[in-house]
Amino acid sequence: MKLGKRWLPAHLLVWTYAVLLIVPLYYFLASAFKSNEEIFAHPFALPSSFGFGNFRTAYDSADLGTAVVNSALVTVLALALTLLLALPAAFALARSTSRLASAMEKIFSLGFLIPTFAALFPTFLLAAATGLFHTRLFMVFFLPATAMPLSVVILVQFMRTIPREMEEAARMDGASTYTVLRHIYIPMCLPGIATVLLLNFLTFWNEYLYSLIIIGPDPEQRTVQVALPTLKAITGTDYGVLTAGTVLTLVPVWVVYTVLQKRMQQALVNGAVKA
Amino acid sequence: MTTLTSTPGGAVVRQPAPPATTGHSGTPRQGGTILAVPALVWYAVFMIGPVIAIFVIAALHWPGMLQPVSFAGLGNVRTVLDDPVFWDAVRNTAVQLAVALPVMIVCAYMLGYYVAQKPPGHRVIRYLLFIPGLISTPAKAMVFYAALSPDGLANGALKSVGLGSLTDAWLASPSTALACLIALDVWSGIGFTAVLFAARLDSVPDDLGEAAQLDGAGHWRTMWRIHFPVIRDYAGVVTMLQFLWTLFGSAQHVLLLTQGGPGSSSTTLSFLVYQKAFIAADLGYSQTVGVILFLAGLVGLLTIRRAFRQNY
Repeated sequence: MKLGKRWLPAHLLVWTYAVLLIVPLYYFLASAFKSNEEIFAHPFALPSSFGFGNFRTAYDSADLGTAVVNSALVTVLALALTLLLALPAAFALARSTSRLASAMEKIFSLGFLIPTFAALFPTFLLAAATGLFHTRLFMVFFLPATAMPLSVVILVQFMRTIPREMEEAARMDGASTYTVLRHIYIPMCLPGIATVLLLNFLTFWNEYLYSLIIIGPDPEQRTVQVALPTLKAITGTDYGVLTAGTVLTLVPVWVVYTVLQKRMQQALVNGAVKA
Repeated sequence: MTTLTSTPGGAVVRQPAPPATTGHSGTPRQGGTILAVPALVWYAVFMIGPVIAIFVIAALHWPGMLQPVSFAGLGNVRTVLDDPVFWDAVRNTAVQLAVALPVMIVCAYMLGYYVAQKPPGHRVIRYLLFIPGLISTPAKAMVFYAALSPDGLANGALKSVGLGSLTDAWLASPSTALACLIALDVWSGIGFTAVLFAARLDSVPDDLGEAAQLDGAGHWRTMWRIHFPVIRDYAGVVTMLQFLWTLFGSAQHVLLLTQGGPGSSSTTLSFLVYQKAFIAADLGYSQTVGVILFLAGLVGLLTIRRAFRQNY
């Protein structure tokens, strides 16, 4: 369709919003290289020098190094566990036609209706009861559960597209169920697995409230999202350090996004609306 | 976690059934259902269990982690309903939803429509729209903290254009604290929702709009009268998602930006659940609000579904 002159207001509004998205990020990036005086005097000027002093201060004062390692550890292990649980489940549900299986599928798809953050306090009790309170391990166990409905539903959809003949042929050759899963289903739904991994990478890496309560503020164990807000308290109003710290925590996500932009957009769109 | 090892044994027995059984093509496949059990159990233990526990704890009198627990029945409900702070939270949550949700959905739909027309620069826009979907809640809160604190970005901008008298401690003033939280919801919500709409509108055939244009319909009419009805139920799903995120997710924003204050001017229901559990240690109260929140979520979902039901 042609976009005529009357679209001018639309262009303006859209680009205004785009500016509203980009300005805070620019401000953060620029401020990360400035001192407080520079930030207040010229908030939007390019930094006069590109020293990493603020980054170092943020890194040291909030123990961000340890925090990044903790976040990475929790995220990677939780992702692995998610796949370990969701792949066989999706495999079973996609192939089965029994009533039981469709009831199970129903449970998973109804799981979308339970908001992830609904049951913070009971989850905290569960952590305490299992003796895993103030450990990263509990988060590694817990996060996959929150991701289960979405992961299973997405994987089932991908697996349903795999023709039955593939499995029947393999069975003729005496393949076991495990072989069928390992050598037919998993290779053929790699795009689905990638979607699940990307989506969950984002939610796991960005998870805040549960990590705060369950892992707690111990600098040895806390994740980067928990460490970040402490900068506000430690540095008072040193915006340079605050913004530098924030930028540091955004780097992994931003790198992944830029490298895998197309795929990530697809994943997020699919993931959000598969309910 | 022993899912994979348990399979091969059971599977060997399951040789392919003769293809003669035409009606029941599912027979050879059923053995695998057990593979779904670990995931289901995991989900039940970590998600369904705690949700049920909310309802149980709501019926208990439990004044602190190490205090004795007694059965309270509906006593908590009475305490909650008599508490003015609870009603403040209800009001704040209602305002938050009533403002944030329509603004977000309407703007996001129009933005999504705009992007789907592929105007110049739409690739850049698409890239930018994803930004709020990528950054974590604490990082978003830092952005808003830097922008709205007394010597932050907003006040700086106001001063530099000579409107210094309008500056305010936005996050610490009772009249603007809630508005700041809503602004955060809207700011971060529009972008991602717009992408969702754009993705759906991309799959609406082009000739649908073109036909309408030939009949003399402008973009405004095409957007609302032609395209919107087509994706109506999709819009419903997106609204439900944003509803849930706003209703339950606001606790984190409140915690990071205003702590519910000043007074209770920015306390939302989901923050009240958090605050009563982990700060005030009134656990029965907290989970009673949790139950109310849960029911509100359910009612909201059903209402939205009804409102967006396909009606042609």
